[in-house]
Amino acid sequence: MIVYVAAGLLALLSLSIPVGIVLFLLGFGVDIFFSPFPLIRGLGQMVWSTSNNATLIAIPFFVLLGEVLVRSGVAEKTYSALDRWVSWLPGGLVHANVATATMFSATSGSSVATAATVATVAMPQAERLGYDPKLFSGAIAAGGTLGIMIPPSINLIVYGFLTQTSIPKLFLAGLLPGLGLALGFILVVMLICAIRPDLGGERRVFPVADMLKALVNLVPIILLFTIIIGTIYKGWATPTEAAAVGVMGAFLIAICFGHVSAGMLSQSLLGTIKITSMIMLVVIGASFLNFTLASAGLGRELSAFLDGLGLSPLETIMVVVVIYIVLGFFIETLSLMVVTIPIIVPLVVQQGYDPIWFGILMIVLIEMALITPPVGLNLYVVQGARKSGPMSDVMLGTIPFVATMLLMVAALIAWPQIALFLPGAIE
Amino acid sequence: MVAEKLIYRLKLANKWVAVLIGGLLLACAIFVLLDIIMRQAGSSFGGTDEISGYVMAIVTSWGMAYTLLELGHVRIDLLRSRGGPWTRSLFDLGALLALTATVTLIAWRCWPVLERSIVNMSHANTPLETPLWLVQTPWFAGWVWFAIVSWLTLVSAIMLIAAGRFDQSEKAIGTFGELDQAK
Repeated sequence: MIVYVAAGLLALLSLSIPVGIVLFLLGFGVDIFFSPFPLIRGLGQMVWSTSNNATLIAIPFFVLLGEVLVRSGVAEKTYSALDRWVSWLPGGLVHANVATATMFSATSGSSVATAATVATVAMPQAERLGYDPKLFSGAIAAGGTLGIMIPPSINLIVYGFLTQTSIPKLFLAGLLPGLGLALGFILVVMLICAIRPDLGGERRVFPVADMLKALVNLVPIILLFTIIIGTIYKGWATPTEAAAVGVMGAFLIAICFGHVSAGMLSQSLLGTIKITSMIMLVVIGASFLNFTLASAGLGRELSAFLDGLGLSPLETIMVVVVIYIVLGFFIETLSLMVVTIPIIVPLVVQQGYDPIWFGILMIVLIEMALITPPVGLNLYVVQGARKSGPMSDVMLGTIPFVATMLLMVAALIAWPQIALFLPGAIE
Repeated sequence: MVAEKLIYRLKLANKWVAVLIGGLLLACAIFVLLDIIMRQAGSSFGGTDEISGYVMAIVTSWGMAYTLLELGHVRIDLLRSRGGPWTRSLFDLGALLALTATVTLIAWRCWPVLERSIVNMSHANTPLETPLWLVQTPWFAGWVWFAIVSWLTLVSAIMLIAAGRFDQSEKAIGTFGELDQAK
């Protein structure tokens, strides 16, 4: 059954049938060929119970938060403030790209929105100040991927929902690896620019008074992050409630900067509905496939399958990592996550791994998928914000950051505590 | 041409639907926020979780058709983009046909859920005791709307392709793949 489902998945996806529909079709296939009783009777109830869900409404809330924040004008302020703080490092403004992306990730649940926002603000500077376009744009594409790792994260909500793991714990688990990646990106840029100073553009030192004054501009984002994450861990609010608070916070920021209008509001709402429905079709499809696979006895078959392969847990993880890297060239983000969760997560958990830890490992691999060609969404987003130059600039520019992510994958496997320490400490 | 007009009207109608349910979502966020504030003061509306769930179900089902016409449902574009206009439109038609058939099946299988709630006069097993038909009717109607819009889009696309208007059909049912998320 596993082999048939995997082959069917690849075949249907390559026909460019919408991903959510592919998952339903596979579910129907499992029902017809492998299930002893007709599961399709449960389809309506499945669709109802998956979408009638107070946890999943956090998704449109976080999307709306991002849509509003992107249009609020806060990105420009954050970028110019961080410029004053980090541009003295070897690599100059490239660090501001990573730092702005990191801060935006802490309020936005999406990588694409993060990359798009930072790219729009940063790109004009690159040409003006004479930075190497490869490294500069690569840093934006890679920095943007942090959006799905540093909480809040829409992808972690979907993972938590489909695997029945705690979303607050997943958020907490993503914090250290996310910050670790940001630090890794900064170190790798410093290293490259120490060897090749011409790539980094001009290093600028600002007067301390200037730096302190710029701090004011960081307050909105830091405040928003503290409110969202703080209310969750204080136990005042569920992730859904925190997301609702965040939406209002984002509106407040936009109002303060004078960027709220009827047009802006309707654009934000339309964007939210579009992304939410896209996500939900895929999530409902995956729930249905999950349900049919479980009813058809996936668990038993997986044990047999694993015994047949005779792999140790570590070897299994290695194989899984390679599968994600290969698939990540062609499929990415949510689609990659959702189509693989029904098969891969039970397999990994059966080998004795912690599902929270694996969620974080999967997110790193998916971040990598976002910046590996030919299909790497962040590459296109950043290229779209550039006025000129070939696409290959951005692709080459991400190589050092992909290497950093691979190191993070290895580190997570060697020391699972990087992810599990914080959720454990809170208990 | 009839097909172009039809697609234009469908897009316009769904845009209105999307703004309306977007407003519903926003109202729900405000409601949740008020509840948190009231809880700090020691009282509560109660049932925000339940109401959020219903809002999510309705927003999800009614947003699907808008996303379809905005080419928002993710498709993996590996082989399709390598073909010429004819091949591409065949891929698009095949994908839309698969979607339309599946969505019709979903809408059809959603009816028994609502029917049972009506026949049994079921109430939610919660403090609010919401009559389920009250929230399941708009939810079900959303899926039916998605199925209707899919069929109309499919028919329009077939007409466009039959008339050799590949550029128009690609605009209506083509793909940006995952790239479209960025827009």
